Amino acid sequence: AEQWHMPTPYGDANLPTQIAYDFAEDIKQGTDGDIDITVHSGASLVKHPEIPRAVRTGQVQLGEIFIGIMGNTHPVFKHDNIPFLATSYEQARELWEAAKPEVEKQLKKEGMALLYTVPWPAQSLYTKTPVNSLKDLEGLKMRAYSPSTSRLADLMNTTPTTVQVPEIPQAFSTGIIDAMITSPSTGANGQAWDYLSHYTDIKAWIPKNVVVINDRALRRLTDDQRQVIFDAAAKAEAKGWKGVRATAEKDTAKLAQNGIEVSQPSEELMNDLQKIGDIMIKEWEQEAPNEVGKILSNYR
Amino acid sequence: MELTVLSLVLAASMILMLSLGVWVALTLVGVGALGLLISGNDQIGLLFGTSSWGASTSWSLTALPMFIWMGEILFKTRLSEDLFKGLAPWMEGMPGKLLHVNILSCGIFAAVSGSSAATAATIGRMTLPELKAQGYSERMSVGTLAGSGTLGLLIPPSIILIVYGVAAEVSIARLFIAGALPGLLLVAMFMGYTMVWATIFKDELPKTREQNLGLLVKLKALKLLLPIVGLIIFVLGSIYTGFATPTEAAALGVFGALVLAAATGSLSLSSFKESLLGAVKSSCMIGLILVGAHFLTLSMGFLGIPRELAAWIGGMSLSPFELLIGLTALFVILGCFLDGISVVVLTVAVVMPVVQQAGIDLLWFGIFIVLVVEMAQITPPVGFNLFVIQALTGKNILYVAKAALPFFLLITAALITISWFPQIVTFLPRTMSQ
Amino acid sequence: MNTLREKFYQLSGYSAGVCVVMIMIIILAQVIGRLLGFIIPSAEDVSGYALAASTFFGLAYTLHNGGHVRVTLVIQKLSGRARQIQELIVLIFSFGLACFMTFYCFQMVWESYVFEEVSHGYIPIPIWIPQSSVAIGLLALNIALLDSLIAVIRKQKPAYQHQEDESSLEEL
Ligand code: NA
Ligand code: NA
Repeated sequence: AEQWHMPTPYGDANLPTQIAYDFAEDIKQGTDGDIDITVHSGASLVKHPEIPRAVRTGQVQLGEIFIGIMGNTHPVFKHDNIPFLATSYEQARELWEAAKPEVEKQLKKEGMALLYTVPWPAQSLYTKTPVNSLKDLEGLKMRAYSPSTSRLADLMNTTPTTVQVPEIPQAFSTGIIDAMITSPSTGANGQAWDYLSHYTDIKAWIPKNVVVINDRALRRLTDDQRQVIFDAAAKAEAKGWKGVRATAEKDTAKLAQNGIEVSQPSEELMNDLQKIGDIMIKEWEQEAPNEVGKILSNYR
Repeated sequence: MELTVLSLVLAASMILMLSLGVWVALTLVGVGALGLLISGNDQIGLLFGTSSWGASTSWSLTALPMFIWMGEILFKTRLSEDLFKGLAPWMEGMPGKLLHVNILSCGIFAAVSGSSAATAATIGRMTLPELKAQGYSERMSVGTLAGSGTLGLLIPPSIILIVYGVAAEVSIARLFIAGALPGLLLVAMFMGYTMVWATIFKDELPKTREQNLGLLVKLKALKLLLPIVGLIIFVLGSIYTGFATPTEAAALGVFGALVLAAATGSLSLSSFKESLLGAVKSSCMIGLILVGAHFLTLSMGFLGIPRELAAWIGGMSLSPFELLIGLTALFVILGCFLDGISVVVLTVAVVMPVVQQAGIDLLWFGIFIVLVVEMAQITPPVGFNLFVIQALTGKNILYVAKAALPFFLLITAALITISWFPQIVTFLPRTMSQ
Repeated sequence: MNTLREKFYQLSGYSAGVCVVMIMIIILAQVIGRLLGFIIPSAEDVSGYALAASTFFGLAYTLHNGGHVRVTLVIQKLSGRARQIQELIVLIFSFGLACFMTFYCFQMVWESYVFEEVSHGYIPIPIWIPQSSVAIGLLALNIALLDSLIAVIRKQKPAYQHQEDESSLEEL
């Protein structure tokens, strides 16, 4: 039996990690134990930023990555982090179908093959005060962690401020930041009600995790084994896209239960945000007109 | 090879390498490589590269050299002497006198720094030479420092609570608040023990004649504390007013210490260079050990030894109480060979579901884990506080470990106390949510 | 020869020191930036790189000055020839291990260069540049270990041992 290792970035309570465990189990059963995958969750084996390299060079056979983390490698990896390009799970699915060929092409260049994706719940706005229009945000300090979130903060007339994830609670309590955009799950898991009070469901973008496998490890297998892996991957993918809706609902409800005011965005706010989105989509296209152009024309 | 045999082989080779005089960091790398080699991994070198790059660039670690450098600057400025002169009149009546300075300064500094290595290094740099000069028992000075240095992990902010909070999905803000009372409990226990010890071993303390100092003298002495209290308020204040994050506060601390040094006229080019090189020496030592520990952690992750052990304990269907005893034993044994944070990272995925099933409160368990990890910091052969204090004093690791043993036992007692009275942990976070 | 050697260790120490100062400056700049409403792009990344550089650049200096800790309890009891043989074994083993570490860190740098790997933070920084500090620092550690190894072969005491002896004398 072959002993394989699969590092994942997030802890066991998260949907992608639970799916990864099932995925490993399916493969073990499908190959009669010939391929035995140990899932190392929560970056316990390899730190998140190092996972792409570890898979590419064969230090581990496969691994899970937040796609956006590879955004600096090629703009196609940013496709699910562009604000207001895809704001429902249907749209996100369509965008992924449109982006898939280009993403696979780039992964191939890195010596990796795509297995499946798991989307995160849509990213929405957390604040300490109600937000009805962009004016309500003016001058606030908003958390930024990438060039695109920083650009977004600028366009929203807020001040982009960098804060590392573990320091978010303290940063909110002490006023280092006043607003952030993240998923309802992050807020629910981090008990955001301890330090903020308003959640506006703007569904800015729907990012994904991707599970990739080392090309050579895949090619060394028999046809049957490869088929087992692809079948398990298809199953995992379906599970992820179905499960994310339930997760989003559950976690949004949890926010409300704990006293955060959950509200739908006003029409005015959404119109203003869509304008910002259009600017950012154009800027993204300019980064790599060929590949991004193809994604956008496939998508529309 | 069977996992039990493999574990014994690795533990034996670690002890052999260490006793032969191989540097601790290189021993950790060597044992990690050996484990991967035996398991037939053919990517050892590449894995080493990946793991050491990941381990040495961690942003939250940048606070470590900052705090160590701050300690060096304060040591050079003789502010440390003032710290004692200012506190001494107040400690007159207390058995153990200035030994309490060690404990209290660690407790206060722990509110600024998130790591126990930084706490022990910074405070020890200031207090140990002074305690020695005044004729205090070296063993007790070293012991109080090794013990109370671990407060860095319990009193917020704390690196380990962040690691646990992220892994177990428990609010870090709550964990931080939950750590406060147990932290104070430990301070009280350490001071209590020191008083008892001082009453019994009077000969090991410097002889001073009884003097009853007037309040005026005491207040005058306090003036000496002003600069250092100012610095601490500056650093703490910067965190709690939203001026800086805890990691950034470390850099502000260095800046503040430099300003103090300049103001008191003890900053020169040569003292600046000396303090910097001193900081380099300590932080390089800790940095390389962290790289080695990370590689060993990676190797253990591939071999699955901690995971198997935790699964074994989890599978025994123990009562919550038995489970806690089993886990404490597991963590203490693993903590002898791995550093505390690695123990948490490697076992949390297996331990959490078992703990949750047993109906143990995850918030409480976070504090429980921190106490156990604190114990791991002072058990040989691998214990970060031991390394830091060895580097400070030149005393052997086993000497330091022996001096720290009473404090190890005191932390065990604290562990029992919070199991008996879980309210100590849960009281503050509960009030917060209301 | 001796002054060249001293210069080498000094270079190791001071270059690490410069990196420590850099960490402070980057973080202070970030705090000030936040106050005035601008972002220092990739500040976390760069201070992390400076941390790695300060750790690895300083390895040789730290070894030379007896800064790396080890358990001396057993070996203190050895004397004369037995002690020399023990130091010889330790240094040969450590040198071998350090060669292995150095080789693969250089390979890591090389791969990052060939695959044009960039950082994922704010600014895409070619990752081989900061990674070089790790490889170079380890190479310097190798040289320092070799220096000590040659000293032991020549039946001299290696530099780190002088430091260790000094501090254990204090214990008496
Ligand atoms: Na602390
Ligand atoms: Na230990």
